[in-house]
Amino acid sequence: MSQFFNQYFNFDVMREHFGEVLVGFLQNLLVFAVAAVLALALGLFLALLRQLPGKKLMPIRFLTIAYIDFFRAVPILIIILMISGGVPFLSFLPQEVRIPHWFGRPDPFWYGVAALVIVYGAFSAEVYRAGIEAVPRGQMEAARSLGMSHFQAMRHVVVPQGVTKIPAPMLNELISLLKDTTLVSVIALSESVLVSREVLSERLNSSSLTLTAIFFVIIILPLARVVDKLIARQQLKVTRGSHIEVA
Amino acid sequence: MSRTRLAALLAVFLVAISAVAVAGCGGSDSTTGEGTSAGGGGEPLTVGSDIPYPPFEQGKSGSYTGFDIELMEAIGEKIGRTPEFQDTSFETIFRDVAQGKFEAVISAATITEEREKEVAFSDPYYLSEQAILVKEGSGVGGIEDLEGKTVAAQQGTTGLELGKEKANAGELRPYPEGPDAINALKAGTVEAVIIDQPVAQNAVEEEGGVEISESVPTEETYGIALAKDNTELLKEINEGLSEVISDGTYKTIYEKWFHKEPPKQFLG
Amino acid sequence: MPDQVLQLRGVRKRFGDLEVLKGIDLEVAKGEVVCILGPSGSGKSTMLRCVNLLEPPEEGEILLEGQDICRGPGSGTGEQSWNLDFVRQRVGMVFQQFNLFPHKTALQNVTLAPEKVLGRSAAEARERGTALLERVGLGDKLAQYPERLSGGQQQRVAIARALAMDPHVMLFDEVTSALDPELVKEVLDTMRELAEEGMTMMVVTHEIGFAREVADRVVFMDGGVIVEQGKPADVLEHPREERTQKFLGLVLDR
Repeated sequence: MSQFFNQYFNFDVMREHFGEVLVGFLQNLLVFAVAAVLALALGLFLALLRQLPGKKLMPIRFLTIAYIDFFRAVPILIIILMISGGVPFLSFLPQEVRIPHWFGRPDPFWYGVAALVIVYGAFSAEVYRAGIEAVPRGQMEAARSLGMSHFQAMRHVVVPQGVTKIPAPMLNELISLLKDTTLVSVIALSESVLVSREVLSERLNSSSLTLTAIFFVIIILPLARVVDKLIARQQLKVTRGSHIEVA
Repeated sequence: MSRTRLAALLAVFLVAISAVAVAGCGGSDSTTGEGTSAGGGGEPLTVGSDIPYPPFEQGKSGSYTGFDIELMEAIGEKIGRTPEFQDTSFETIFRDVAQGKFEAVISAATITEEREKEVAFSDPYYLSEQAILVKEGSGVGGIEDLEGKTVAAQQGTTGLELGKEKANAGELRPYPEGPDAINALKAGTVEAVIIDQPVAQNAVEEEGGVEISESVPTEETYGIALAKDNTELLKEINEGLSEVISDGTYKTIYEKWFHKEPPKQFLG
Repeated sequence: MPDQVLQLRGVRKRFGDLEVLKGIDLEVAKGEVVCILGPSGSGKSTMLRCVNLLEPPEEGEILLEGQDICRGPGSGTGEQSWNLDFVRQRVGMVFQQFNLFPHKTALQNVTLAPEKVLGRSAAEARERGTALLERVGLGDKLAQYPERLSGGQQQRVAIARALAMDPHVMLFDEVTSALDPELVKEVLDTMRELAEEGMTMMVVTHEIGFAREVADRVVFMDGGVIVEQGKPADVLEHPREERTQKFLGLVLDR
């Protein structure tokens, strides 16, 4: 039993490597911040594309749905490895795009961000969609009957209502995204998991991993609580008087 | 129960069943005696190794080959044991053998003081050097030339340690597997790789497009690692190793994989 | 005839396999109030929704002020924006479920479309909107959100909202069916005033009393066709067709 404790809770190891693991964790947060912003934007874009009306635009809707379905299904790890393993060899791309070192961040950082944005763009598109589709159809009909174009109706009537349903599930996606930043360790980005594994092989002790886990818990647990509260609050909300359920 | 709910339950059930079936039938990494051709026909000996790491260990489960593999099989024959190899991650390999996950480790593992705190090593079986591997024609030089550059090495290896000590790299990137680091070099995302000399040589010969810019002699030796309290097995392995060297088997295996004569101390 | 605001000829509409409108011929003159009665499933609402192109018909013509809105320029290719703009800026609709915008105040509900679609200035829209809301008796509720208004009040806001676009025709789709009985009168009164001011109206309703007093013409629909139509006194007191008689018998409890 004490062996277990020593393997996972050796405070000396934690203390000695606290700084480097923390620096690694900051990398996770940085990847998360960049990827989250881009994924939220991509998701909204995809969700709106998907709502475009009319027979003519069916190919666009179809492609959007295909993208979303595909990238919700493929494991992120595969995407990360495919990007980092393949992109450097695409000779038609300029060097700065193939092996990006933008803003001083090394290429694994950007490959990781790219993969996370591609996948979480798809997931967040679905959250937006649920929000938009939760808005009663009558709202769109009323707006259109008043002469608003599809775009105007979305912008002024549907989307503003849709976004109120979005925060709770979106926050869940973001929590997932934060955890998935650890996947970028597999292409040698010095984030917290990679650093911890280094310590592990050096000290033959897993306490650095425990420390990493603790960092994640400290950040994520409060967020998860916020999600719970948001959901509870929505359940209590009385249906507003914009429409009445007709029996 | 609604039809949708029934269908969903059925799907979950089928997935669970298939997962159990696959796991039961043959997802394990260990070679269960097949493909380890040479063998004393005796009791199995579980051996951990981080595969692939050519030319020391490579190949697919059931047909592993490489210098380490063949050496271990030769030793096994001498002591009446049949090695069964388990592919395992290098960074935990010493902890694993110390905890008894397998009986021995042969994995191009350098004998170091730090490691000797946790495991016992056999007599040295290989004299090693580190090499700086660079892209052919890139003009990147030896270890001093690595200043400010992006350099790769394998996690948990002495190559990585060497990089930390001697190379003033701009970024020192640890990859989980040796071949990953070499791939990164070929892709151009890193400018040099610090890795065991034979592995670098193997890459030059087998894969091409890369060259060794410098070999760094380190006086490091490889050993077979065992749990500290396994003194009996340690004795046997050392005896087996000694025999393999003295009867020339070592020389044969060495020349096969490294295309040159072994150093004096390993000649019979 | 130039006096005809709306002309429906041979309009057919199907939803999948179900044909809901089986050839509708109807004309509405300027200033006329037409009340449409019938059992559920008769196609009354669908017909209204064809007129403002919420449901484009499969066959037939709909002429709005002489223009065929089913086959304008660019017809046959998905949404015909020419048609839609033309139609929806001339035809206003009020819905059974109100469909007020919950995230906007009563006044904002009324001013949104005039500002964004007609390009009116905020001040102009506000002025007109206030006048309209006062006209429907809600001058003191300008800044209220729909959730704070009663059903009857919400429906009156909906009417004001539709009127703000200066429509030539107003469509009412069972606008009192979802209201508590004591709130129905205020909405019907508003509609009556509108009719007296000369608005061309098509009203799908169950309120026979309203039809009798306000309508210029009553149309009875059943099974996707117009069974009979005529002056309210004629159709309601002396229906010629058996189906009309049956329906009225059930509704009026004779």
